[in-house]
Amino acid sequence: MKRSPAQNIFPRGAVRGGRRRGAWSRFALRAALAGVFSSGLFAQAVRTLPTPSALKKMSVEQLMDLEVTSVSKRPEKLSEVASAIQVITGDEVRRSGATSLPEALRLASNLEVAQIDSRQFAITARGFNNAFADKLLVLVDGRTVYTPLYAGVYWDVQDTLMEDLDRIEVISGPGATQWGANAVNGVINITTKKAKDTQGSLVTGGGGTELRDFVGARYGGQLAPHAFYRVYAKYFSRGDAVRSNGRDAEDSWRVGQTGFRADWESATGDAATLQGDFYDGKEGQAGPDPIRVEGGNLLGRWSRPQGEGEMKLQAYYDYTHRRNPGAFTQDLDTYDVDFQQRRPLGRAHDFVWGLGYRIVADDIANTPQNAFLPPRVTREWFSAFVQDEIALSRDRLHLTLGTKVEHNAYTHWEVQPGARLAWRPLKNHTWWAAVSRALRTPSRIDRDLYSPATPPYRIAGGPDVVAEKLIAYEFGYRVQLDPRLALSAAGFFHDYDDLRSLEPLNPPARFPAEASTGLRGHSAGLELSADWRANSNWRLRAGYTESRVHSEPQPGRADRSVNGSIARDPNHRFSLASFWDLPGGWECDATLRWVSQIGYQQVPAYAEADLRLGWHPRAGWEFSLDGQNLLHAHHAEFNAPAGRREIQRGVYAKSTWRF
Amino acid sequence: MTRRSFGRSVRNALAFAVLTIAAVRAPAAEPPAPAALSAEYQLKAAYLFKLPQFVEWPAGAFADAQAPFVIGILGEDPFGVYLDDFVRDEKMDTHPIVVRRFRRGEEARGCHVLYIGRSEGAALEKIFAQLRRQPTLTVGDLDEFARLGGMIHLVVEDGRIHFSINADAAKAAGLDISSKLLRLATIVPPPKR
Repeated sequence: MKRSPAQNIFPRGAVRGGRRRGAWSRFALRAALAGVFSSGLFAQAVRTLPTPSALKKMSVEQLMDLEVTSVSKRPEKLSEVASAIQVITGDEVRRSGATSLPEALRLASNLEVAQIDSRQFAITARGFNNAFADKLLVLVDGRTVYTPLYAGVYWDVQDTLMEDLDRIEVISGPGATQWGANAVNGVINITTKKAKDTQGSLVTGGGGTELRDFVGARYGGQLAPHAFYRVYAKYFSRGDAVRSNGRDAEDSWRVGQTGFRADWESATGDAATLQGDFYDGKEGQAGPDPIRVEGGNLLGRWSRPQGEGEMKLQAYYDYTHRRNPGAFTQDLDTYDVDFQQRRPLGRAHDFVWGLGYRIVADDIANTPQNAFLPPRVTREWFSAFVQDEIALSRDRLHLTLGTKVEHNAYTHWEVQPGARLAWRPLKNHTWWAAVSRALRTPSRIDRDLYSPATPPYRIAGGPDVVAEKLIAYEFGYRVQLDPRLALSAAGFFHDYDDLRSLEPLNPPARFPAEASTGLRGHSAGLELSADWRANSNWRLRAGYTESRVHSEPQPGRADRSVNGSIARDPNHRFSLASFWDLPGGWECDATLRWVSQIGYQQVPAYAEADLRLGWHPRAGWEFSLDGQNLLHAHHAEFNAPAGRREIQRGVYAKSTWRF
Repeated sequence: MTRRSFGRSVRNALAFAVLTIAAVRAPAAEPPAPAALSAEYQLKAAYLFKLPQFVEWPAGAFADAQAPFVIGILGEDPFGVYLDDFVRDEKMDTHPIVVRRFRRGEEARGCHVLYIGRSEGAALEKIFAQLRRQPTLTVGDLDEFARLGGMIHLVVEDGRIHFSINADAAKAAGLDISSKLLRLATIVPPPKR
């Protein structure tokens, strides 16, 4: 499992997109980015505004052109981030009609999002997609949510009240220097609003054909002059996917979740947050009894400004329980502490360092068919990172150097350095390039999974499984052409070695086999995105990603699992979202996506569209009618034809009342 | 967790804690710098002064030419003395500018400009009802402020401050916002009544 100090520590978004956000968020991004260049942010001296008497003499246009910052940091503008980042705001999620975090992630065109069945998604950036996609770091308010079982994410239990979402930052490409060891192909940083921004009451509910019924409620109040809180609860039930022949896939499911968040800020800039969630759900599956899921978390965070810098301390506890009849039952406890400090040194250096420590206690009840051996393990991770953003030329050229050092129970010490250069020849134009090393350290599925549960094993855990290694070469250009049009382009070449494989022990017989890391591969691609405010009532965002992914056995290795490549990725993806305000409080929104075929799995290319009609009849009230996947009665997004599940057209109605 | 690994974990956790505390304590020993008002709110204060110059109040809004021009702050005050210093000795036409602070919406009747603080999110609708037909220019930065019936919503976007204007709400209050300002703003469609 990997660490992600920067993010962990900075749960709120970093880049300024469309909404107000805290200073830390800006910091986070910068920091995060990492290593990027973030620095742009930091390295620059405090941006101060003109004096009051100068402000008074300025025109409104001039005022509108001033950049603001809280505390001592310059806000990072999206057009100045030296990384392939895309930001989705909470309002865009609302208007897209997305009813879950994975659906919301479809708005980020640098992600591959494929729905597998009613509850499972395969999500990655830059290739190697899978239900067990394992090269992505996902954080929710600073809490790492991928499971140490297979280094992937159980998307069915990552949820929040969608109305509380502040933003989602999606970085394609490695963020390992600061973000941690699973940040190989990308980082998803999900942040919720501050309690101060969710005051009052909210009740929402509705129902439909796929999202069958759902209710949610939230109340936000004030504890003290600078302390706010909110509590929420939600419930939903979702209908079944279908098999290719149109028959019911028997995978309907339902989850209830509740949680809270409290924020406090002092006059001197100290800030503290305490938040937690709890969920409980039941998920149908064909054949065995339903899957039961349950989990909760509690997180505390404290930050304090220190002159021009700041420090932050975060700790959390997270537990998950998953009883998957016919497969396994897992109880997982995670304890995590992160510390991070940022200190500008002189005018040219902006220095960030951090420490992280995590204990994971994993207890699995095995079945005769599969076993994780030993069933109970307790493992620790240590990490430390340093990063310096160097202003080579004050506003124009920045070099960020950093490395992360991590100790894990499987492969012991690992180092993940990175270098990133950003050049801003003109305001709002950023050229950037980066070289980084990132690792996916082994997870339990690599080392501990045996099938059947007793010898002789058909598949055995691999004692020689090492970390998957990536050297990534990236470059990009971001530009804010005018206040209405922003464009970005990023190109990448990823060179992988020691990818996960399954090695036959007595070739040419396919079995018995042992887990190993005997593949290598590479991927290359181009990510384009555009954000256009056509006029004050109409906004569009579009994205196109082209990529090629290839893998092959290392010389002398005999992996037979993959037909020469483990790539299950479409080569082209296009998406378009339109948000249109109409008179009378009406909103008309549409998203369109086109995904090319996944050749290895014989998934045909498809186009799908979502449509939403929203109405605000009066202050506080919102009604909407949402259609999802409207172009086909059902369509396939992932998996080979045998056993494949298809996603049905869905329509739901929703009403929301804020008071 | 076995006893041995638990012992090791505890030692490691302690080492981590010591390092962390050392790191935190060292800087904390210095006295904290006085908290300066963020640039964001400095600029918002400037807007509170600047934007009214593009608005005309109805004749009845002032008792006489020397009556004060009142900028009110309702609820949480993010500006502190910065705003008072900013407008000290300034006039709006012939009217000396004063800043007043209020805790409840009904107390704020009679303000010419009212900044509604972030603490008032839950009470916005009530506040707008209390100010109905009052010639008070409402300004705020809560989400959806203008859509919910506020007149000027200050929005931080890409690190800059822009504004949305609910022109119908201003017109209903008898305020005339100059087209020059409207051209710079996002015009928010008012909710249908």
